[in-house]
Amino acid sequence: MTAVPDAIDQALGIAPGSPLHALRALRPEFVSGAEACRAAVLHPEETLDLSPELRRALARRVVAWAGHDRLTDGYPRPADPALAALADGEMPEDPALAALARHADLIAATPAKAGPEHLSALQEAGFSVPQIIALSELLAFACYQIRVVHGLGLLKETRA
Amino acid sequence: MTDTIPQVTLKPLTWTPHLPPVEIEDATPRQLEAMKVTPSAKKVSPYVRTLAHDPDSYVARTVLFNAIMYAEGGLNRADRELGALGASLINGCKYCANVHARQHARLTGTATTSALFAGRRDALNPRDAAIMDFAEALTATPPTADQSHVEALRAQGMEDAEIQDLIHSIAIFGWANRLMHPLGHSD
Repeated sequence: MTAVPDAIDQALGIAPGSPLHALRALRPEFVSGAEACRAAVLHPEETLDLSPELRRALARRVVAWAGHDRLTDGYPRPADPALAALADGEMPEDPALAALARHADLIAATPAKAGPEHLSALQEAGFSVPQIIALSELLAFACYQIRVVHGLGLLKETRA
Repeated sequence: MTDTIPQVTLKPLTWTPHLPPVEIEDATPRQLEAMKVTPSAKKVSPYVRTLAHDPDSYVARTVLFNAIMYAEGGLNRADRELGALGASLINGCKYCANVHARQHARLTGTATTSALFAGRRDALNPRDAAIMDFAEALTATPPTADQSHVEALRAQGMEDAEIQDLIHSIAIFGWANRLMHPLGHSD
């Protein structure tokens, strides 16, 4: 168990000593595994020319769908105005960022509707195949976080 | 109720990527290393080769996925598979739904999956119904799962440690479905 609260502890607003923290400690591999995934999608060794700032902005846009403020706050709002528009759920003026915004919303809210034409749109906007894969993992990771935080939040009044 | 539901045996589907996967002969050393992180490494599937374009996330996700679906103790395997199936049906991932329905059937028989694929939610046993209700509500965007879902699971004898396992099996398919379905098609 790590002493430093991880992103999910922070999103849940829990600290060591709370029943929910103790529950999470029963599955240390879920805790460490999610942290390793977070690092891999936000600042991987192979960046594929996708900046950490862009990645965080996109993650913020996706997690905001769930309305869990502390989870959203885990991805600080970018200073750059174009990235801030992406992070805030607006439609960025830059065509590549706009394509990314549309894809993020599709994947976050209605993944069942995704089809090959949506990948073509990203390719036409200038994203490479490896970049599309990395962005897909990032978007889907944020969707994973939403469910873990929402679900565990329901166990806050956990029984002994 | 005395009506019977025809028992279905699902056939495996084949998944084909929309984007070109990594070809083994073109793979970087890190991609080659990443692709070894599979339960059975004899053959590298198109799915693995597609995601190996980003070796970092592939490796990290696979480690987490295996922990959630196969960790010892806690929630039984069949219930984890049902959580995965519930998420996959909502997210429209035909391939994942097929794989995890077959896993569930292998572990506990075809009654539950046959009822689900026949649209007969009323025929589920109370525990499976509680799991499916929770899986659907947690999978919705934004999630609509609430205290009543947790109480329904507890009423079926589920401990909070087991509910935690179920949450993770549903959540990890909120991730996996968003790769498998958008990035390819199955038939």
